[in-house]
Amino acid sequence: MKLWVTLEGREAEVTFRTEGDRLILEADGRHIEADFVRLPDGEVYSLLIDGRSHVVRVSPSAEGLEVGLRGSVIPVEVKHPLEKMLQAASGARAAACGETVSAPMPGVVVALRVAVGNHVQAGQAVVVVEAMKMQNELSVAHDGVVTEVLVAERAAVSAGQALIRLAPVTGGSA
Amino acid sequence: MPRLQRVLIANRGEIAVRILRTLRETGRTSIAIFSEPDRTALHVLMADEAYPVGPGPSHESYLNMERVLETAKRVRADAIHPGYGFFAENEAFARACAQAGIVFIGPSPETIAALGDKLAARKAALAAGVPVVPGSPGPVDSREDVKRFAKEMGYPLMLKAAAGGGGKGMRVVRSDAELATAWDLTRGEARAAFGDERVFVERFIERPRHVEAQILGDATGRVAFLGERECSVQRRHQKLLEETPCPAFDDATRRAFGEAAGRVAKQVGYRSAGTVEFILDEQRRFYFLEVNTRLQVEHPVTEMVTGLDLVAEQLRVAEGDELSFGDAPPEPRGWSMEARIIAEDPARNFLPSVGVIERVRFPQGPGVRNDSGIYRGYEVPVFYDSLLSKLVVWGGDREQARRRLARALDEFVLEGPHHNLAFQAWLALHPEFAAGNLSTQFLEEHWRPDALKPGPEATNAALLAAALHERSERQRVQIGRREDARGASAWKWMNRQRGGR
Repeated sequence: MKLWVTLEGREAEVTFRTEGDRLILEADGRHIEADFVRLPDGEVYSLLIDGRSHVVRVSPSAEGLEVGLRGSVIPVEVKHPLEKMLQAASGARAAACGETVSAPMPGVVVALRVAVGNHVQAGQAVVVVEAMKMQNELSVAHDGVVTEVLVAERAAVSAGQALIRLAPVTGGSA
Repeated sequence: MPRLQRVLIANRGEIAVRILRTLRETGRTSIAIFSEPDRTALHVLMADEAYPVGPGPSHESYLNMERVLETAKRVRADAIHPGYGFFAENEAFARACAQAGIVFIGPSPETIAALGDKLAARKAALAAGVPVVPGSPGPVDSREDVKRFAKEMGYPLMLKAAAGGGGKGMRVVRSDAELATAWDLTRGEARAAFGDERVFVERFIERPRHVEAQILGDATGRVAFLGERECSVQRRHQKLLEETPCPAFDDATRRAFGEAAGRVAKQVGYRSAGTVEFILDEQRRFYFLEVNTRLQVEHPVTEMVTGLDLVAEQLRVAEGDELSFGDAPPEPRGWSMEARIIAEDPARNFLPSVGVIERVRFPQGPGVRNDSGIYRGYEVPVFYDSLLSKLVVWGGDREQARRRLARALDEFVLEGPHHNLAFQAWLALHPEFAAGNLSTQFLEEHWRPDALKPGPEATNAALLAAALHERSERQRVQIGRREDARGASAWKWMNRQRGGR
């Protein structure tokens, strides 16, 4: 089976197969083999890689998968060959699509720092969401123009809810 | 039978669980209160009795004084233990308890009031002959006054808003030149943030350590010093990892420190458990900061080295008894550390996290204690603070305690919300932490978010896990197809799915 896996910012082509309880994987010219057993507790595997014992849990997330091991969570993005082709075709369009700032966790909007029409710069804080007694500033990743403000101050928001939409800056007006 | 038979815990989470354990061990009835989203919280499930006090937001439930007191009266509680936070340091609540004929487990309302005012507390410390950070006796009126102060004390100085708190309205000044702009900026901030532009001056202590004294006063005015705790590792004034004893203390410092804390406590007639906070400079001189009139989050480390149950001692004092050890507090033995396990994401600037605890397995083995408010399937609510659990270890010396902490963190399985287990493991293994070189600047000096980047072994394991996930997804689809072909019922298919999990 063939996959494209993005891990820690690097994309690699991965092929793998199983032989009984062994998983054999090739990625970036590396050959990794493991003895694997699925544990009865969710999607959790015990892996023995060259005798070293790891317990990994896989859970789906918004961006792909999250792999939990030893107290850390490693985000992994997995694409199938067909998806990979589709993405290449639509990549250019996506870049020109603008940005949406969403609530990373449920909470209450305590301050809106921008209004529709405002120009913002990459890294600028645009909204403050309070959760668990902590105030969290959410910032934009790219320069842009605010096109929609979808919430009001004091509004309760859920995780992933879109708060502010931006269009990319066109021309040299920023 | 204990005189205080029915004790209501006006709190939630791990501290409510902690308190009810002692109530059960001492043969008392534990009474929990809960907000609507806390109906299934661990403290409710574990208590003998539990009563609702309102909706999720704290001020409508756990901080709704009328409702909490009305509940306590209605269910005939003899006493209320406030835990920490909520009503723990609320003079009006302590007074209202007394008026309702209910014992408040803590110091007197007068003590809470006297120590709640920072300037009054500072005066009490000075009256007791305990050093405070050298500074202006009151607010300063002009830049020239600050300059005069600088001539006396020397730079660096700290300008502080008189009404400030939580790290706001504070600015370090290192020279006359810096003062020119810093003066206006600090006053402007103070006016904007607190509506009060009064500013005072303190000597700035470089790389301070935060060290605090556990005290316990009985009903007769006797005050015991139960050792110190070092809580220097903090982020945004929130303590993350605490230990006792303080690695910077020698016996002489400890003796002087304990005496100073005891003098402050006696000055205000302190009763019950309390904490006198100090900062320690690089020359091991300590300065009084404030008194916390409550049981602290980090009290378990003191329990680990003294063998005492501080909640049980509080109950004795509340019943008018003397302390269990009379005049002679137990000699501390060994070393203890506590790591706060918090629902926050170190990789995303410690953003708080919520969600369902999907899997949890607490570390076990020699010298390990978990004080926790979570269980598998429990949903961490958004309304309260993000402390999930406290991992406390004991070791014969600091090195054993530290290695044990790292081992226990490694053993800890916690999945669902983001949490700081990996961060705490990084801390426990950091060479500067291992060497005991601590200050409240520790994270500014040493923490980089990429410290938690997975190594090659972890990356390989993650790759394999992703491949196994794909394999299992594919199998699921194939099973579905096969069943379809056979004309199996949807029920059968569901059953198969469940069996495969």
